Parts: sequence; C-alpha cells; structure tokens
Amino acid sequence: MANYLAQFQAIKSSSDRLVVAVEDVSDLWPSVKEGFEARLPLKKACLNNKTRNPVYVENLPAEFILTTDARLRSRFPQEQYLFWFREPYATVVLVSCEDLDEFKTILKPRLKLIVQNEEREWFIVYVSKAHPSNDQATKMAKKVYARLEVDFSSKRRERCCKLDLNGADASFWEDFDSKIVESIRNTLERRVQFYEEEIRKMSEQRLMPVWNFCNFFILKESLAFMFEMAHLHEDSLREYDELELCYTETVNTPGKQRDFGGLEQGDDQAALLKPEFKPLSQIVQDDSFREFEFRQYLFACQSKLLFKLGRPVEVVARGYSFIISFSKTLALHEKFLPFCLREVWVITACLAIISSISSIYDGELAAPDIEKEFYRFQGDLYSLCRVKFMRLAYMIGYGVDIEKSSVNSASLSMLPWPKPAVWPSIPADASAEVLAKEKMILQANPRMKHFNIQRKPLPLEPSSLLREANRRRASLSVGNVSELLDVRPTDGSGLDGYQRFSPPSKIYASPMPRTYSGPVNFESSVSLDRPMRLSEIHVAAEHALNQTITDPDLLKSLSSLEEFEKKYMELTKGAADNYHHSWWRRHGVVLDGEIAALYFKNGNYDLAAKSYEKVCALYAGEGWQDLLAEVLPNLAECQKILSDEAGYLSSCVRLLSLENGLFLTKERQAFQSEVVHLAHSEMEHPVPLDVSSLITFSGNPGPPLELCDGDPGTLSVSVWSGFPDDITLESLNLTLMATFNADEGVKTINSSDAHILKPGRNVITLDVPPQKPGSYVLGVLTGQIGNLGFRSHSFSKGGPPDSDDFMSYEKPTRPVLKVLKPRPLVDIAAAVSSALLMNEIQWLGLIVKPIKYSLKGALLSIDTGPGLMIDESHMIEIDDHVKPMEDKVHADELDITKENAFSTVKFKLVLENGKVALPDWASDITTVLWFPVRAIDDRMAVAASADCPQRQSVVDGMRTIALKLEFGAFCNQIFERTIAVHFTDPFHVTTRVSDKCNDGTLLLQVMIHSQVKATLYLHDAWLHLQPGFVHVGKANGRPVSGFFPLVISPSSTAGILFSVCIESMPFGDQTELLQTQSILNIMYGISGDRTNGAHAPASLKSGSNDKLHFKVAIALQRPVLDPCVAVGFIPFSSDCLRVGQLVSMKWRVERLKDMEASNPSSSCNDEVLYEVDANPEIWMIAGRKRGHISLSNARGSRIEIIVTCMPLISGHVRPPHLGLPGLGDENISCNPAGPHLVCVLPPTLSSSYCTPA
Amino acid sequence: MIACVAVVGHQNNPLYLQSFTEADDALKLHHIVHCSLDVIDERVNNPKRSVLTLNETFLGLLFPTESYKVFGYLTNTKVKFIMVTTDLDVKDADVRSFFRRFHAAYVDAVSNPFHVPGKKIASRIFAGRVSGIVKTFALGTNG
Repeated sequence: MANYLAQFQAIKSSSDRLVVAVEDVSDLWPSVKEGFEARLPLKKACLNNKTRNPVYVENLPAEFILTTDARLRSRFPQEQYLFWFREPYATVVLVSCEDLDEFKTILKPRLKLIVQNEEREWFIVYVSKAHPSNDQATKMAKKVYARLEVDFSSKRRERCCKLDLNGADASFWEDFDSKIVESIRNTLERRVQFYEEEIRKMSEQRLMPVWNFCNFFILKESLAFMFEMAHLHEDSLREYDELELCYTETVNTPGKQRDFGGLEQGDDQAALLKPEFKPLSQIVQDDSFREFEFRQYLFACQSKLLFKLGRPVEVVARGYSFIISFSKTLALHEKFLPFCLREVWVITACLAIISSISSIYDGELAAPDIEKEFYRFQGDLYSLCRVKFMRLAYMIGYGVDIEKSSVNSASLSMLPWPKPAVWPSIPADASAEVLAKEKMILQANPRMKHFNIQRKPLPLEPSSLLREANRRRASLSVGNVSELLDVRPTDGSGLDGYQRFSPPSKIYASPMPRTYSGPVNFESSVSLDRPMRLSEIHVAAEHALNQTITDPDLLKSLSSLEEFEKKYMELTKGAADNYHHSWWRRHGVVLDGEIAALYFKNGNYDLAAKSYEKVCALYAGEGWQDLLAEVLPNLAECQKILSDEAGYLSSCVRLLSLENGLFLTKERQAFQSEVVHLAHSEMEHPVPLDVSSLITFSGNPGPPLELCDGDPGTLSVSVWSGFPDDITLESLNLTLMATFNADEGVKTINSSDAHILKPGRNVITLDVPPQKPGSYVLGVLTGQIGNLGFRSHSFSKGGPPDSDDFMSYEKPTRPVLKVLKPRPLVDIAAAVSSALLMNEIQWLGLIVKPIKYSLKGALLSIDTGPGLMIDESHMIEIDDHVKPMEDKVHADELDITKENAFSTVKFKLVLENGKVALPDWASDITTVLWFPVRAIDDRMAVAASADCPQRQSVVDGMRTIALKLEFGAFCNQIFERTIAVHFTDPFHVTTRVSDKCNDGTLLLQVMIHSQVKATLYLHDAWLHLQPGFVHVGKANGRPVSGFFPLVISPSSTAGILFSVCIESMPFGDQTELLQTQSILNIMYGISGDRTNGAHAPASLKSGSNDKLHFKVAIALQRPVLDPCVAVGFIPFSSDCLRVGQLVSMKWRVERLKDMEASNPSSSCNDEVLYEVDANPEIWMIAGRKRGHISLSNARGSRIEIIVTCMPLISGHVRPPHLGLPGLGDENISCNPAGPHLVCVLPPTLSSSYCTPA
Repeated sequence: MIACVAVVGHQNNPLYLQSFTEADDALKLHHIVHCSLDVIDERVNNPKRSVLTLNETFLGLLFPTESYKVFGYLTNTKVKFIMVTTDLDVKDADVRSFFRRFHAAYVDAVSNPFHVPGKKIASRIFAGRVSGIVKTFALGTNG
C-alpha cells in the first residue's frame, strides 16, 4: 500500500473539494448547469462530525461533475476503495420527460438501473420545460412528476424534486440544497465509518511485525483529508493529532535504527509551515517516514488546519513547544547532522512562525487574556531565536559585540555548545580571515564602565569555547590544553573556563600570542596536532556555518558585524515588544536593557537612556538591587553624555543609596564626588534633587517637643546621611505638617547654620517659629548642596537609611512637635478685694501668677484709668506670694502664717515709661507687686440722714487699672487685663437728731461707720457748724477729749453726740442759709495691713503719729416751724397688702395757709408739682410718678393724689413716698412725720394646680 | 544540580537568594529568578487559565528552557520560593518535597523575633539549613 503514497499525494493535491456527480439522463446539464453552480458553495450545510454531532458549515465548497467526465470514469475499483474520499458524495439525476408513456417505458427502467447502486446517495431532479402558459404541457409535466415521485420517493425519504425551467421557484432551490447536503451527510457518515473501521483494524496490528506506518498514515490522512474537504477542520485536526501520537510511539520503539534525516540541502530551513516542502514518497524509510521531515510535515498540516479554524494563537503555542521538543530531538542526532544545524533550524523555525503569524493575526479576534498569551508565545519565539542567533554569532567571533549582561549570560552560559562529532577544522586558505578575526579580537576593547567600576564580566559561554572546540577535534587530546593559554581571552568571557584548570598566575602572563604573530610562519602552523586558537576556531566555525546555512537572510545576517547587529536588534526588539504586550512585563523590560546597550554602542544615547530608565525603574521598584547595580551605571553614563544633569544626579544618588556591599567604597566615593562636583558647578537648569533614599531623618526619640501657642522653639532632629564621606550642606530645612488639618499646608523650618553631614547619624537643631496649636509631624527635608537644592521624603525609624525599605513610605505618625491650644499662661489679679483709702497713697497689690509658664524677662505695662495715678515717688515692691489656702489651714497660728504668706523678702522695682520688668527669680513663682497709687476724688463726702439712708454708689469709688504683660522667650506672649480697684472714704457718716429738747437744743447724733478693713483710731473730731446753728454753750464743738482716741474696728460703728442749738436770726436770711453745710472734721489714724485692704498711706512712715484728716459735710436743716402744706398718707382700705395685689396709694395734700401772701413768686401758678418716690425693687407703680396737680392757692384747699401700686416683695417695707419738689421740705408737714413701714403678705397660694383629694 | 534557590517577598522583592554555582555569576541567576516572577504573576492573576488550584502552593514548572528549569512555590502570604535547576528531568514529587522543607526552614527563620518581616533574611542558620536541603535534594535525585 505504501506504493500508493505518491498517487495519494497527487490525488490529494488535485482534489480539494467534495464532488457531486450529475447523471444527465436527458441532456439537460447545459441548461441547468448555471443554476446549479450558482448554489455553490453550499450555505449552512449541516454535517455530522466524527462523533455524530451536527456541525453547521457556513460555506461548503463542492463541485458538480458529470458522470461521463473522465475524472470519474477512469478509476480502478482498488483505487476507489483506497481513495474513497475523492468519490462523489451525492448523485443528482437530471431527467425530463413530458410523456407518461415514455416515462414508463424508457425513463423509468433506465433510472432504476442508475439508482440501484446501494452505495450511492442519489436524488432525482425532474426538469420541466413546459411554459406556464401552455396548460397542456404543464399538466402533463405534473402528471409525469407525480408518477416519478410514486416510483422513486419512499415514505422514509423524498428523492425527487422538480425544477421549472420557465418559472423560477425559490422553494425548489432550498429543496435542492437540502437534498444535496443530506446526501453528502449520509455519504460522509458512511465513509467515516468505513475509514474508522479500517483504521481500527490496522491499529490492532501495531505491535505485530506486519505493521506498516505508511499504510496507517494513508488511511488516517485520508480520513483527515476527507474531513478537511468537508470543512470539518476540527475533526481533521484531531486525526492529525492522533497520527502524531502514533508516530511518536512508532519512532520511539526501541530496536530499530532509523535514518533521522536532515542531511539534505535546505534542511536547515525549517519547513514546519510548508506541508508540501518535500513529497512524502521521498522521506519514506522502510515502513515509516524519516523523523526530521515527517514531524515537520505533521506540524505543518496541523498548523494549516489551525489557521483555517482561525486559531493562530494556538499555532504559536504549539509551534513554540514543537520547536523546543524538536530541538531536543535534534540534539540527540547532532552528531550526524551538519554543524550547528540545530541552531540554524531553530532560528528559521521561529522566524517562519513569527512571519506567518504576523501576516495573519490582526489582533482583534481574541479575548484580552488570550491575546496576552499569544504575545507571550511570540516573545518566546523571538527570544529563543535570539539566543540561538547569539550563539552562532558568538562562535564566529561576534561575541565582542554581545553585551555581557545578566540576561545574555543566563541564556548563553547555561546553554551547551553544539556537539558535532568533530569540530570543524580550519580550511587551508583561511589565513587572511584568521588574521582578520585575530585583529577583531585584539581590537575589541572591553568597555570600561563609568565611574571606574570594575566588575568581572558575566560569562557568555557554558565552558571555554577554546577548550570545547579543541577537545572535539579528532586529532587533539585534552592533555594539550595548557597550550591554549597563550591566547589572551580578550572578550573576557572565556576566563571561567581556564581558571578551573590552570594556575591563575598564568592567565595574563603573555598578553599576545607571540609565537604565531606573523603571517609568515602561519601557514606552517596549521598543523594537525596544534590546538586551534580562538581566531581559528571562529574562522572554522564560520566556514562550517556557511556550509550549513542555506537561508540567504541568515547568511547575510552573519556575514558581518553590522549585519549581525541589525538582526540582533530586530530580534531583541521583537521579543521585547511582544513581551510588553503580554503578562511578562519583566522579560520585556530586561530586553529593553539589551536594546539600550546596542543603542549606546551606536551612539544613540537618547534612546539608550530611555530604555535604561525603564530597566532601572523595574529593578528599583521591586528592590532587586544586585541587578540594578549592574544597569544603573550605564544609565548614569548615558545621562552624563547627554548632559542630563538632573537625571545624572539622581542616578548618582540612587547609586549611592544602593546596598553597601554592591559597590566598593572607592566607587561610592566617586559617585559622591560627582554629585558634589555637579552641585557646585553652574547648572543650566537646577532641579531639586530627590535624595530620599540617601538622606533620611527622624525626630529624636522621646516625647515630642511641646510649645505653648504662639511660642517659637528649637527642634532637634536626627538626620542620617548615606554618603560615604562627609558632605557640606549650604542649608538645611524641614517642613512640618500638621496632623490635624491637611489643608493647613506645610511650614518650613530652617536650620540656622551650615552643616557638615557625617556618614551616619547627625543631630540637627532647627528653629521653630510660632505655630498654630496642634501636633506636627516632619514632612520633607530640603536643603542645598552648593547650588543644588535637594529634598528627602523618607523617614528613618531611628536607624541608618535602610536600603530594604523601598516600600515603606508610610508616614511616621509620631509627632515631633506639639503646640498646645491657647490657654491662660499667667493670671494677674488684685491682691486685695476690700476697699482702699480714697485720696491717700495706698499700696495696690497685684498677684502675678504664672501658670506653668516662665515669665522670664516679662514686662508689665501699667496704665491707670481716670481718677487714679501711680505715685512715682515710691518704688514698686515685689513679694513672693504664698497661696491663701495655706493661710486658711493655719488660721490658728495666725501670726506665723501671715509672716509666711507674704515673705519678708521684698524687692524694689522701678517703673520706666509705665513699664516694669519682672525680676528673673520671679519668673516661675507667684508674686505680688505692690504699687503705690492714689485715687483722687474731689468731692467731699456727704453725711446721710439716718432716717433715709442714701445708698452710696459703689461706682464712685471704683478705679480701673489696665495691665499688659509681655512675656515669653521672645516677648511674644501678651496678657492684658483691666483690674477694678475699689477706693472708699474711711468713714460713712450718718446723722440723726436724736432728741429735740424743749429749750431748743438739738442733740445731733453723728454715727461713724468704718468702711475699711482696718482699725481706725479717731484722734479728734469737731463739727464746724453752718450759719444758723451754734454749739451749745459756745463750745468749739469738740467732744470731750478724754474719749479719744476712739478705736473703731472694721465694719463697726461709733457715734458722737453734738448738742447744737438754732441760732436766732432774721427770717429773711433763711434762703441763703439753705445752701450751706456744716462740716465734720475727723482726725484719725489707720492701722491696717495692705494685704487685707486699706492701710496707712505709703507716704506715712509706719509707726509715726501722723494723722489723717477726713471731712464730711452734714446738712442740717432748721426745723419746720410753719408749714404751708400738709401731706397725709391715707391708710389702706384693706388691712393687709399682698404681693401682686394692686393697691391704691392715697395722699391728701392740703394748703395750710395762703400762698399768695407768703410766696408771691409762685402765686401765678396754682399748680403743685408732685413726685412719687418708691424703691423700684419693692414697688411697681402704675401711672404717673411725677406731675402737676392743681391745688388752689386758697388756704384749706385740698386734693387727693392717688397712685396705683403693686408690691413686689413681702415683708415690712417702706411705702412709696410722695414728695413735692416745688416746695421746700421745711414747708411741708407730713403725717406720719417720718418714714414708716407697711406690711406686705406673701401672695396667696394658687390652688389652680391642686387636685381635690 | 540546583543552581539557585530564592525567597521572594509578597511585593516581589528578593528576601533571600543563594546560588550554588561555582562560577561568580550569581547575577544571571538573579535575572532568572526575577524574570520567573512574570510567570508567577501570570498564574496568580489568571487563576482560571492555569492549572493551579487555590489550595495548591506548589506552582510546578514555571518555565522550561533548553538548559535549565525553574520551579515555583507560593505561600499563603504570597511569599514565593523559586528554585532553578540545571537538571532537566527532575520529578515533581521531589521538587514538591524540596519546597516543603524549604518553606519550613523559611517559617522558622521568620519566626525569629528579631527578624523584621519584609526584610532580607540574614540568618546564617537559615542559609545553612537551605544548603543542607539543597544537598539532600541533589543526593535524592542522583541516587
């Protein structure tokens, strides 16, 4: 059967669609052909797949072929059986007949003959040529068709349909389509069953010697091909998958040695997307196929189907794993394959898949995650291709151009060298090339890293190429290895290989291969036994590769260093771009670094810097410092070349902030000197430098600094410097951030002087201006190095800047500064609450009490109000003050505590410009300041009548003193207060005529009430009487001197009686006399303590006998001798008054004598002015308090004044008093004569809220 | 042979990385471990697409190349253990038990009250234990 392979392939390629046979019985094909073929491809054909499930095929291509066609006729039965898939899937029988007899006699037997073949799926299309207008013909056609249906259709299956040539009938075509599809479906099903049966039978023989994979393959692929033709790609793919499995099993069966393949010209180019690359008949090997070609073939078929299924993603995924696994297979057979065929094949395979995919995939058909996966696989392909490409390039000496980065090292140094049976040897006439390579190796200058960083380059070879190549040469034994060491490993990568088996001292011993330096003796040196030198290995490999590679693109890419770079860039970019679109971000970014290296090499520093930045960001973001330390110097170098000062500085800072072990101290010092150098140079665009990773800061441990509202202060902060050396800062500032309010903004505080930061911890003090109340945390550290501003955001937790701490940017919550809410810091109060003496120099005490706040340097401004002045002749005294509480506790030991309460230590202070400075010792304790003051009152005191004591107004004796205390460290705190001080006369004097004697002598009782909290001593008192009164017995009005001194205790009263009599004098003088007053003079002394109240005036020396003089005016009235008006209070109608009850007050006013005679001035007016005087706290008066009433001037005329009042409080109270201001008191006779009291009861209880019991 | 083992923190920061190669080329192993985080990320972010079930800490083979294999292991706290081996046919069960012991050693190391979570593991005892585990693994797979 394997002989049919060629034929099978031919048939497969010629038939690509399902065939529908047309049995043209009545020569109708030409007339219906167009209509039939218009139905193709079949729409929405419903077919059954292998598992008998319906599948809708959108467009099923098919072809109508007449049974008379040569293609269908010339087939042998054997072939039919084998290649059944190409046989017709349906037979359409075209008939036309318009005569019933003819149908019966001729057509029917013929049709019976045609349809008797059981295996065919057939149906009859009856074509009616009758014109619709021709009734006869139409009728006939109908009859014949009816007959036809009776004869050929069964209940189970309709096999006839009727096509009207002259009348288009849509329903016919639907019918026609469904019949064709039905036939195809049935045929397909039958054939699938057939093939399955055959395959099953054959599979059973798999372990037998007769097993022939080719036969199995033909059956299996026929089935697959049939599915493919029917557009059941899914099933077809499954067949190929099974075929692949089966083949792998067959190949791996031990015992049989098979040719692998891959030795032919062009095999190095992967054919994994070209099923037709080699005819299968060429790769047959015994009963199977050569693995190299066949596996590629299978993959090609699978990928073709996958493309048809619209699953390019799967092509890539399968492709990648296929390449990996196939590469392993190639490795197994490497010995027999051309040199590096494996590598070349992988490269071409990857590129083939990539190019086919990119032309097909439009990126819209997949879900996002599938798309990412797709890009990832593409990236994988690119990167695999890239690795292999680098490997080839390395072998031919382009290693000098490959960056010795971690990614390249990871992919190359763990990838074994190719293992050919014999390493290619150098061709005879290659001396010039060897020289060229030698030159290239020698010229290749390992690039010095910026900052003089010295690192051993990472290896790019798994073991030394030199050793590997020579070892595999047939003629050389490993023992000669020491000879190899003469070659300097200029690319640095071969170093590892040597070090393992040679004393290290020899490595650099001979920098040039002197022995073979000239071309003269070169020819002779290519002896068989001499180990090849590196340059020779490169040349040999290049020649061998040129033999292997047939792909012109790849050849070109390896032809020169420039071409290599171009391809290398293309592959790296391809990988990076695809990885960027996938989940594998890191892979992409790392490859960006490789692109950057290439850009850098080509002088494209701008792009290089951009890519390096990405790589650095990746490594820095996740804290991979070792990797970062490798890339960051490159970035810095780019930035330096581009004169990107800001970037360069920040790179230097980042380098400095890397872990200590990653760079030598010398290198770190180089970084610092770069920073300092740039900072002090003239930068074009100075940008603040972020040194968060290098300089960190924290508040000092312990409680935060506490400041009162409005106070400045100094804050001390720890700053950690990560610089390797001392660094001088021009300035250093910190911001404070309020924790209570984010909108408050930040406040900057400055460190006053320049600093040198040592490596490690430094303590910096900063001045804090007054802040708003609240707590503050440290914000940002800013400062200046040279002309360069820098800032740092990071907080250290009391340790050195922690390189591991890259993710802990959380703000420290511990506040460093607390500004307390405004609170009273000091209190100033008057020391004494009782009254002081008016018009005398008195000590005014002010208690200055600091409330947990120092008053150091405080200044007290004193501003006295009107009527008060400070007596400047005296110093201000200051005392220590002890709390009055103690006073009370030790009340028993009165004397002692008093001594203690006001310490005897007194200091004198001077008032300057109304200000007094408090002494330092008084800054923290409560003190009393004593000011000598004098309150001035020009008015003379007036004695009151004992009968109606006039309330003395407190306001009269009140004086104010405005105080302003400036304190705090910077006199920033101000305390202001106005203090009221009460001054009073020493005595309040009331007088009373205690008795009127019959002889006209009046006993005048003068009562002296002490108004001060001090003991008063009356030394003398005399009454200077006004005219109209005289002392009895012409005395000088002094009481008996033996009474004096009279001691009046605080708040007590003394009385003195004077006997006076009325001087007789002419009546006419009376009016003058009314205006004058008598004066009571009192000489007194005072003994009081200023801490209690009034005391002896400061001007008097204590203990001296100086006496004070007090005058009080006493109004004496001559008695009323002939009243002209009488006022009588008329008793109430009811006995008792109640609070809240209205009551009518009635007074009767009566003229006692004619006014005309006595007082002509008022005669014109017969009206009398009245005024009701009542205590408003006791009485509420309704009606006019004051007014005129008419009272006739005639004697005896009388009138009643009624005022309605309401008592407000209960008790015995004075009733309102009716006065007549127009008449002098002496002209009025009152009844009752003096004040009297009325009784007011409490209000009646309200019962409205009481509920009866 | 195990080329390298690493512990990577939940923010993908390296916590511990020890290479067991003779050559001074640890950097390339850093690179391999770092890049393998891509695969772990992908698996963790697309749980339905991967075979990884939620209860399984062992991530299996992360990515195979022609020359080495990378295995991963993910703890509940999103700490990753990564192992790079040049041994191309290792048994999953061996790797699984290796990781389990590695995990146990890690748990002991971070249970040290003086260890700051999220910081590199500097414990020498841990390093010693890990080398021991690696040695046992090599013996197990070879023998």
